[in-house]
Amino acid sequence: MRYIKRVILPLLCCVLVLSGCSSPFVEDNTVEEVAPVTFWSLNKGENGKLEITTLVPPIMNEKKRLFTLDVDLLKQGKKEFNLKFYRELKLGQLRMLLINENLAKKEVISLINTILSDPDVSPRLYLVLVKGNFEEYLEKEKNEKKNLDYFLYRMFRHYERRNQGEMTIVNIHEFMEKVYSPYSDPVLPIFKVNEKKFTYEGTAFFKKNDYVGSVKDMEDQMFQLLANDHYLKNLPLSPLKVSLGQVRSRVHMKVDRNYKTLSIKVHVKGRIDEYRGHRNILSSSEMRKLNKDIESYLQGQSMDLVKKTQKLKAEPLEVGAHTLSPLLQPMSRKEWLNYYENMKVKVDYIVKIEPLSL
Amino acid sequence: MSSRFVLFDNTAITGTGYIFAMVNRMQMLYYILILPKHLMHPYMILGIIGVGILSQINLLILSYYLKSNYSSQGYLGFVQLFGERLVRLFAFFGLFVILVKVIVTALGYVEIIHQFMFPSMKTSWLIFFLMASSFYIASQGMEKTIRLGLIAFLATIWIIVLYVPYFLPPIAEIHHLYPLVPGEISIHSWYGFLMIWSALSGPEYLICLGPWIGPKEKILKGLSIGNALSVIEYLILFVACLLYFGSNYLEKISFPVVNMLRYLQSPVFERIDLIIISLIMIYVLFLIALLLLYFYGAVRIAAGRIKVPTNRKGFLGSAAAIFICMLIINGWYWREGIELNIWTTLQLWLGAITYFLVPSFLLIAMKWKRGSS
Repeated sequence: MRYIKRVILPLLCCVLVLSGCSSPFVEDNTVEEVAPVTFWSLNKGENGKLEITTLVPPIMNEKKRLFTLDVDLLKQGKKEFNLKFYRELKLGQLRMLLINENLAKKEVISLINTILSDPDVSPRLYLVLVKGNFEEYLEKEKNEKKNLDYFLYRMFRHYERRNQGEMTIVNIHEFMEKVYSPYSDPVLPIFKVNEKKFTYEGTAFFKKNDYVGSVKDMEDQMFQLLANDHYLKNLPLSPLKVSLGQVRSRVHMKVDRNYKTLSIKVHVKGRIDEYRGHRNILSSSEMRKLNKDIESYLQGQSMDLVKKTQKLKAEPLEVGAHTLSPLLQPMSRKEWLNYYENMKVKVDYIVKIEPLSL
Repeated sequence: MSSRFVLFDNTAITGTGYIFAMVNRMQMLYYILILPKHLMHPYMILGIIGVGILSQINLLILSYYLKSNYSSQGYLGFVQLFGERLVRLFAFFGLFVILVKVIVTALGYVEIIHQFMFPSMKTSWLIFFLMASSFYIASQGMEKTIRLGLIAFLATIWIIVLYVPYFLPPIAEIHHLYPLVPGEISIHSWYGFLMIWSALSGPEYLICLGPWIGPKEKILKGLSIGNALSVIEYLILFVACLLYFGSNYLEKISFPVVNMLRYLQSPVFERIDLIIISLIMIYVLFLIALLLLYFYGAVRIAAGRIKVPTNRKGFLGSAAAIFICMLIINGWYWREGIELNIWTTLQLWLGAITYFLVPSFLLIAMKWKRGSS
């Protein structure tokens, strides 16, 4: 009798509860019954609607399928998807949010907030801006590359880990943290896409939550050195016919007391990977001249980048953070940006390079 | 059933380690999960240190009572100090205070489970499971419950290590900590101090554990270590939140301490937050069990039935009453938002007041008694 009360009764209760008879657990996560997606691609649809697209990865022997839905709300997409497809959509594996550039000009924050508020979705979700028609690319590539979405994710992850440089990689938390931070503005990577290619183009600058401009090529490389990862595996300087490798930078920014000048000192270390110019760089005096050329070239390029951000009144370089100190009260963002816009900029590069080794 | 149902037996005395574990876990309850959002400004780091020192002074006062003979006699000690009628009145007020504390702790924790783990589950089920488990623990008696305190401490203290990555770049942005000095102290920041004070409350509940704790000369040591550890934990969690979110963003996050854990990545478990939330349950259960026992004891004192032996029916009845109150409040009004809800605010004030008044009140009563006799 006692045994029954002690062991069997609670066991019976548990079995009853877990086996579905008025079970408190509602959700079913059986693998065969759910469709985990790895990304959402968002585009501007017709009549102010959102067009959202995703690929459903195969679980059994079936082909990848592309789904495109026109919706007013992001989460409506989830619902409509479930009505269309025999498996239930789950966002637990969501890794990327690709936002079309045209849509980003209109709004970003509300979309990101929706995603962020979902406890299933990790705050490490990558955010990407896309230029061009990503859907067309998907349509074409999904048959040729078997794990297209997964490989895209691997690429982002590869460049994010250990801050490998080369490209800007931003996740949802980093983006939001910058949106709310008064002395920095978020950035996002831009990828250019057409029917055949999906390639990194540069970095998009935001002002609070508005997409205001972007940099590419040389300016983007300068951005990587000044503000993003401080590292570039490869830095080709085509006008000088030289290519630097393993470039690492240390940046010191200083704003003077009256907020009139900004001096940026950048120490760059690296080595020459390739040289096809006319100087004989094995001679040390010629090498020194090349060094000077590189310094002044980088100076000029960086200056352009800083001026561009000044013109945009955006803070992707986080210059304002250097005016803060533990004991001083900070000024408001607006005040700072007014100063920043009219600041004189001085950029100094100190380049130390190992010569080409043969 | 032939076995005796004894809740308040007292066969062995628990050591300093238990006091320290209990004080620390009592101070690390629900409030730490929401506190960083309400403190927000970096200068509140100084606030936490300052209030921590005040709390230490308060514990010093408390230790005078705990060391005295009145304390080791438990209920009889209170009767000697105040007389039976007054003790019954205090117990009656105590019922209300305990009730609010249990409800806020349980519902706050259930809300976290609901939000992060089982969004589709009915909260009343979660409350039921939580209450049933703590009822089981409490029914093992006071001694075993106190012993669980140490287990709860050991099982959960290591969680603090998980917050180390938030101090390392690139996650940490050092300029989020500036400025460290306040420009002007607004009403909001005074309220922040009050919240820290209330969050550190809890040790005052030890006054009812007099017969169980000892050795007497080491009580202050146990209290101080527990309090210091809590303050350090508060500092670590708050600074980690600031470095990770920054003040402006922090304000918008409902459970920053839990939310942060979602950013950690482990190759084995993707959602570390789920494991941590479940672990937190151990000490929430411990505390609810302890407070259930307190509640039942207070009911007996208030009803004047202290001489009647404890029985299952009475204990179950008082637990059921708390459970029903919880369900009502849960259905009525419970939602964590930008502002504290009415019950959390109530607990905030009650906790702050009891923590402030109880130790000094007891000390005054003791001095007065000594003077008059």
